[in-house]
Amino acid sequence: MSGTLIFQSIVLGILLGGLYALLAAGLTLYFGVMRVVMIAHSAFLILAAYLAWYFHQQTGLDPLLSLFVTVPLFFLVGVVMQRLLITRLRPATLTMMSVLLTFAIALIIEGMLGYVFTGTQRRINLSYSGSSLDLFGARVAVVKLIAFGLAAVSLLALYLLLKKSRFGWALRATIQHKEAAQLTGIDTDRIAGFGFGLGLASAAIGGTALSLDSTIYPSLHWHWIGPLMAIIVVGGLGSVPGAAIAAMVLGLGQSLLQLPLGTTWAQTVFYVALFGTLAFRPQGFFGGRLAQRF
Amino acid sequence: MPRGSETTAPAGGLLPARLGTPVRLIALVVGAALVLSFPLVAPNPYILSAGVVVLNYAILSTAWNFVGGFTGYISLGHAAYSGLGGYATGLLITKAGVPSFVALILAGLIVAALAVPIGIAALRVRGASFVIVSIALVLILLLVFQSWAAFTGGSNGLVVPRPFPDLLRPEHHMVFFYLYAGLIAIALLAWWAIDRSRFGMGLKAIREDEDKAQSLGTPTFTFKLIAYVVSALFTALGGGLYALWFGDLDPIFQFSILTGSYMVLMALLGGIRHLFGPLLGAFIVGTALEIFKLEFGSTQLHLVAAGLLLGIVVLFMPDGIIPAVGNLVRRFRPTESSIREVTAAELLEQNKARAAAAGKPAAPAADADAASETKAEVKR
Amino acid sequence: MKATARARRGVIAGAAVAALALSGCSAAGGSGDSADDPIVIGISLPLTGDFSEPGKGVQRGYEAWAKVVNDKGGLLGRQVELKILDDQSSADRVVADYEQLIGRDNVDLVFGPFSTRLVVPSARVAEEYGMLYVEPAGAAPEVFEQGFKNLFYAAPAVANDHYNYLAEYILALPADQRPQTAAYAAMDDPFAQGTAYGLKEKLEAGGVRTVVDEVYPPNTTDFNSIAAKIASSRADIVVGGTQYQDAVNLIVALQQLNYQPKLAAFSTAPTNPEFSKAIGAKTEGILAPTGYTTKATYPSNTEFVQAYTAQFGTPPGEDEANAYTTGQVVAAAVEAVGCAEQGDCQQKLVDWLRGNTVDTVVGPLSWDAQGRPQGAHMIQQYVDGQIQIVLPGETKEADIIYPKPSW
Repeated sequence: MSGTLIFQSIVLGILLGGLYALLAAGLTLYFGVMRVVMIAHSAFLILAAYLAWYFHQQTGLDPLLSLFVTVPLFFLVGVVMQRLLITRLRPATLTMMSVLLTFAIALIIEGMLGYVFTGTQRRINLSYSGSSLDLFGARVAVVKLIAFGLAAVSLLALYLLLKKSRFGWALRATIQHKEAAQLTGIDTDRIAGFGFGLGLASAAIGGTALSLDSTIYPSLHWHWIGPLMAIIVVGGLGSVPGAAIAAMVLGLGQSLLQLPLGTTWAQTVFYVALFGTLAFRPQGFFGGRLAQRF
Repeated sequence: MPRGSETTAPAGGLLPARLGTPVRLIALVVGAALVLSFPLVAPNPYILSAGVVVLNYAILSTAWNFVGGFTGYISLGHAAYSGLGGYATGLLITKAGVPSFVALILAGLIVAALAVPIGIAALRVRGASFVIVSIALVLILLLVFQSWAAFTGGSNGLVVPRPFPDLLRPEHHMVFFYLYAGLIAIALLAWWAIDRSRFGMGLKAIREDEDKAQSLGTPTFTFKLIAYVVSALFTALGGGLYALWFGDLDPIFQFSILTGSYMVLMALLGGIRHLFGPLLGAFIVGTALEIFKLEFGSTQLHLVAAGLLLGIVVLFMPDGIIPAVGNLVRRFRPTESSIREVTAAELLEQNKARAAAAGKPAAPAADADAASETKAEVKR
Repeated sequence: MKATARARRGVIAGAAVAALALSGCSAAGGSGDSADDPIVIGISLPLTGDFSEPGKGVQRGYEAWAKVVNDKGGLLGRQVELKILDDQSSADRVVADYEQLIGRDNVDLVFGPFSTRLVVPSARVAEEYGMLYVEPAGAAPEVFEQGFKNLFYAAPAVANDHYNYLAEYILALPADQRPQTAAYAAMDDPFAQGTAYGLKEKLEAGGVRTVVDEVYPPNTTDFNSIAAKIASSRADIVVGGTQYQDAVNLIVALQQLNYQPKLAAFSTAPTNPEFSKAIGAKTEGILAPTGYTTKATYPSNTEFVQAYTAQFGTPPGEDEANAYTTGQVVAAAVEAVGCAEQGDCQQKLVDWLRGNTVDTVVGPLSWDAQGRPQGAHMIQQYVDGQIQIVLPGETKEADIIYPKPSW
């Protein structure tokens, strides 16, 4: 196995990890604000990818422009979903039932995608699809760089929003201790709705990034939900930085393991990490106080 | 709490026990006769095969309910056990030359044995983590069975030899219809026996409040594990029977999250606290799925329908049809059953509602949230 | 306390029976056996899912066949009518579909679906209902090892023989030009693997070293690591045992890594009309085996190309031709035996095909006892932006380009 091949894999792994990190951050937000495990997250990811593909198909414009529509739209859908659906569930069984409810939403999205766009695999064909840059001997596809850049910028924006803005402060307070947050006058219901919206907006960005360089089909979301679940458990349920670090580590691990093991076996790294974490450190490796409650 | 008052009446049994054993027996006999006569009245082999599919769903969701109904642990990944059961049966026949039905029973036992270590790992965690683990189990088995082609046949699938090679297809369906009916009867009997035992009481205590059950001396972990393994055993037997009936195993369909979610949907729809709940759910959902495939075969609308149904059940009747119907019946028969069949949380809500009705100041929403939060905290 | 639960179960079961029976009755009765009724042919095809692109091609081929037959007055004086269901590329669905077609809709004849993975389960349904089963796409060796007695493959050759002419050509090259190393990537699918491994076996025997040998599951979409391995091995030639989308993804990933082999061969995908657009028109020099050419001079082929082009606006491809061939094979048996219905007739059709040769658009076909056709495939290549036959010498439309220009 040559050095360039390993270097190539490391670069690909980092690029992949960036996308995982963004998506896992979204999942973490839902869990943080509402203790909801959002199975439909990756279904929304694929939905956004389809919207990007459809937008490109219809207008011939760059699929990245579809972000201007999908990000606000998904934010809105997230808020509405939290206010109208999630809050209806009984608090005592919220975690279990929210899994089933979001699972149902995932099925509906998959079914509608299949109905509207058929099950045919789709791929955006851009003029720069096949182009690549030379990076210290590794070939890096332009589309992958764009996708990574998109994910990195969004993660940075999310980080700044959480750390620097008043809304971010309220959101973090809600995640850490809802009742205490309420006592300081934070409208936690509103904040939780916005947290949901932000999570779904991250799926919109991730989906658009995904559509640049990947074949999409309606049932693809199952392919994503497993690794994402593993990432948030390893990272510690509810911890955004934990999820980002776990995403990078596991994305890199997957990419490197593909060399000796092949594509399929390499995916097991996520599940091995998941079971390992639950067996030895159920609160996750980077999680804070919150993760220990579950 | 938006759904406050409709749950205030305790959801007891459907009918008061004094209605007597004869009526129940007659109902049981009529129900069984209807099921058993189905192959004789089925107008064509296709309907018969659809009947077998529905019974397959029925055994799977009944088997799922051993863990879901008794302990309240919702596993979205039970397809792992039906898939393992199917593959174990097929591999025992093709690789080891074991006779078909011996292979089926061996496969059930092997999978039950496998479920012990998996159960020990999975049942350590509760709530969200348990669901994630159950989903991960299916996904990891899918990967393994796709990749380990030398042993499992990989994506090419595994062809399971026919147990009755001389039967024409309609006769084949009929034989399997009765085999399935027999397996379901055994599973129901086991459920009924557990339900009435001390063991069953312990399991239900876990469902209502695991920590309290533990502090009262119930060996919660052992009980959960036994229920989990029994559930895996019946799921595997159902999967193995499917392998013998269908003949072709493909990892994508054997280890499908969708199959697992159908089990949950059927059990929830029927009512997980009731013996016949999953069976009823399987009849409704299974029949609906078949009709949907017939009417909208070339579209993905059956997924949308399944999703909508699951969403409606979760939002509006998480206790299933049987209690919902029971509530209706009780309007005409205002006797209260002495057995409490509600969760602790429901009881809390009911008590609060009663308190409010009695003129005490209504509990502020924040308090309710705090109460639930405390409960979540307790489940550490 | 469980009494009503039981009672309800009975009611629901009854309702289920009634509902199913009702929907069963309403749709049945389409095919009586009177001389004026159409001959109904049941088919299940992957119109969505993994195999939807070739699946739609097969559908067009069947439709073209039905139109040609009906324009000429039908079979045995009866019009033919196709009843096509979508199996979503799933084995569970394909079985249910044929179950429905044969058991409920009582069709007179069945044609096979697309892809080996779907052929084996559905062939068993047909076999157990005693139906003749001619199929356009189950070329892998496994299909013929199941002991099916009613199965016939309506194409010139089985998968492992698809690249025979290419193997001959490569091994006949002078030593200084002959490739030294080869990389193989195949979908975990009996047909796709069969084509790639048929070539691999022959090249390895001829001294071409295998440096990469990768298998991926059908739902794979990420080809980066496979492409990285192939690119870093610098193999002289790359062979893909592919269907459609996987070939497109693999080629784009290889292009992104700027890997330039001397020869690139992929099964199935390059013959698809969408292929060129999907990989950004960088097709020059890509090879693919094919069992069919529009330019073949068999009498029925001229008629097929004309009729098909008139109906769909483009000339037919291989999937369309195989489907059309399936129709021709069944029609020949029906005309010869003089019946088309379920029951004893089916066995007569099987017996007739066992002992006779049928003239088709891919040439005369005959079968061994397991249903294997006895023939070979041609090799096509993109030359000047057009896919053209380059091997064998006697049927070629253009000279083979070797080494391949860069993509």
